[in-house]
Amino acid sequence: MCPDTKEATTPGADAPENDSIVVCRNLEKHYRQGAIQVPALRGVDLEIHRGDFATLAGPSGSGKTTLLNMIGGLDYPSAGEIIVDGQDLRALTKSDLAEMRLRKIGFVFQAYNLIPVLTAAENIEFILRLQGVGSRERHERARAALADVGLEGLEDRRPSHLSGGQQQRVAVARALINRPAIVLADEPTANLDTQTAGGLIDLMADLNARHGTTFLMGTHDARVIARSRRHIELTDGRISGDELRNT
Amino acid sequence: MLFGLAWRNLWRQKSRTILSMTSMGFASCLLVFVLSLQLGSYETMKTNTLRIFDGFAQLQPPGYADDPDISNYIHDPVAAIAEVRGVNGISAASPRSSTFVVLANGEISYGAAVFGVDPVAESAVSSLATSVGAGRYLSAGDTDTMVLGSALARNLGVEIGDRVTLLGSAADRSVAADSLQVVGLFDTGIPQVDRQVAQMPIDRFRDTFMMEGGANVIVLGGESLSRVNRALPEVREIGARHGLVTLGWAELQPALKQAITLDATTSSAIYVSLVFVVVFIILNTLYMSVLERTREFGVLLAIGMKPGAIGRMMWIELILLAAVGSFFGIALGATAVLWFQKHGIPVAGMEDIMAQFGLPSRIYPRLSLFSALAGPAAILISVTLGGVIPFLRIRRLEPVSAMGAA
Ligand SMILES: Nc1ncnc2c1ncn2[C@@H]1O[C@H](COP(=O)(O)OP(=O)(O)OP(=O)(O)O)[C@@H](O)[C@H]1O
Ligand SMILES: [Mg+2]
Repeated sequence: MCPDTKEATTPGADAPENDSIVVCRNLEKHYRQGAIQVPALRGVDLEIHRGDFATLAGPSGSGKTTLLNMIGGLDYPSAGEIIVDGQDLRALTKSDLAEMRLRKIGFVFQAYNLIPVLTAAENIEFILRLQGVGSRERHERARAALADVGLEGLEDRRPSHLSGGQQQRVAVARALINRPAIVLADEPTANLDTQTAGGLIDLMADLNARHGTTFLMGTHDARVIARSRRHIELTDGRISGDELRNT
Repeated sequence: MLFGLAWRNLWRQKSRTILSMTSMGFASCLLVFVLSLQLGSYETMKTNTLRIFDGFAQLQPPGYADDPDISNYIHDPVAAIAEVRGVNGISAASPRSSTFVVLANGEISYGAAVFGVDPVAESAVSSLATSVGAGRYLSAGDTDTMVLGSALARNLGVEIGDRVTLLGSAADRSVAADSLQVVGLFDTGIPQVDRQVAQMPIDRFRDTFMMEGGANVIVLGGESLSRVNRALPEVREIGARHGLVTLGWAELQPALKQAITLDATTSSAIYVSLVFVVVFIILNTLYMSVLERTREFGVLLAIGMKPGAIGRMMWIELILLAAVGSFFGIALGATAVLWFQKHGIPVAGMEDIMAQFGLPSRIYPRLSLFSALAGPAAILISVTLGGVIPFLRIRRLEPVSAMGAA
């Protein structure tokens, strides 16, 4: 779960391409609604670097979810270029995209993240099963991942027996289990009370610091934004602000 | 993995799943029972009808079935009889000859079908001997004796001990005449038999009708009709070697065969509707749960599960549901059938009529592999095939729109 030593030899500043997990160039997405076309993204240029802990904010309807979906390979862009971990997503078939999501992306959604009939540990193991990992390794990695998010002892609980915050932690643990190039979180704290939300964002910041995992989070939550080290603003389908900050 | 997931998913909606399984189980149970009952009663009908007279199968000279002429006979039945008796499943083979004659008692005369039979072998292929109500049946040492249908005897005005004369034409077309003593009267309950049939020892028949050693047909018997039916291919081969054709029950009783076919056709329409209704209910339930879980499927797609795998998972859920339901249905249905197979089902108010036709007053369902599995298998197969619709729907799911589903 550590950054590749091979790539770490070339520092980011003079060779941004090498250090970029995500590259979007002039990215556009239009939704067709009946006869009219609704533009959701109107030319987004964006690079997410390895190890970023970035928030993506903007008014409702500005295109946050749409952009995260494009990067996650959940949908195809209408125009423009999108490269994730060196791979041009437009060149991939649907089934390749599914494989790419399985291997390279970690998702945390607002709700309904977990498979209700599986326990916390099984939810995490599920990803490893899809990847064809053997049962003993699966088991060990799932336990370790749950411990990593502070859920030791809750391995055998089903989601319905976990609090909202605990469920989101399981979702985070699951998102990290495939050692993804990037974790995409769309409003991960929206269904949590402020204290629980604070705990979750602390956890993600901690994981970012310890493992160097890249995070991109779509959010409205001011306190989430306050914790981020890079803040991107989206307005009307365009990037309207992109600032680095140090916490 | 899909299997375990599917099994757990089934129990998410416990009461709905149990309800679906129950309706599957009930339909399967019903089909097993009704089909066993139906096939069992066919079997009883066939057996009882054939037992009275025709036997479970016959060997005949070619052309005899279409035109039963006395002159078309098996010249040396002894070898063929010995050979078919050796076939596994055939326990008796009895030579029989027959022709139409005029029976007369003084001034009164009636047309009758007279049969020459081997008194000993005959009782193993036909139950006619047991329906002798007055007097006795033919026996081994008999020479000039005869048994008559009770109605025929009444018409002729003869009683036990009286003599009747018969007049007919022999196998060589010469005139045949004889005088025989009535020793018994039978009552099979089948009007045509009781009104028209007379039997005499076959040796006497051969003398009277110039048939030295021959017989028109060989009647076969066995423990059960189905055992005889299984033995038929071998019998056919033996028959063919002797230049004879083999007739099974359907050829001996074409009208019965027709009645059964008609009945089976009508009832299968009902079964098909039952299967259709159950399958519809199950698929409807499945479809509901697909719609309910669309959002969840979206998440599964997002984290990298292939749409085909989700579709297969749902398909397995469906098949599991149907399989568990029909398993209990078969178990319950088979148990019920086995119980009634032993104790019979009384047919209220029909006892007298049934007895008159030589049928037992209870009907017995009969469990067979076919009756136990045909109905449930039809349901299971239709459900499995019907599952292709939700399967295809799931395969078309897109992660974004699925997650956006309410
Ligand atoms: N499937 C769709 N069909 C049609 N229009 C859509 C679809 N998805 C999104 N849009 C439109 O695209 C635009 C961007 O939507 P998006 O969901 O990306 O915004 P958002 O920034 O995530 O908003 P929110 O903060 O409410 O989540 C909106 O105008 C929305 O109505
Ligand atoms: Mg959104």
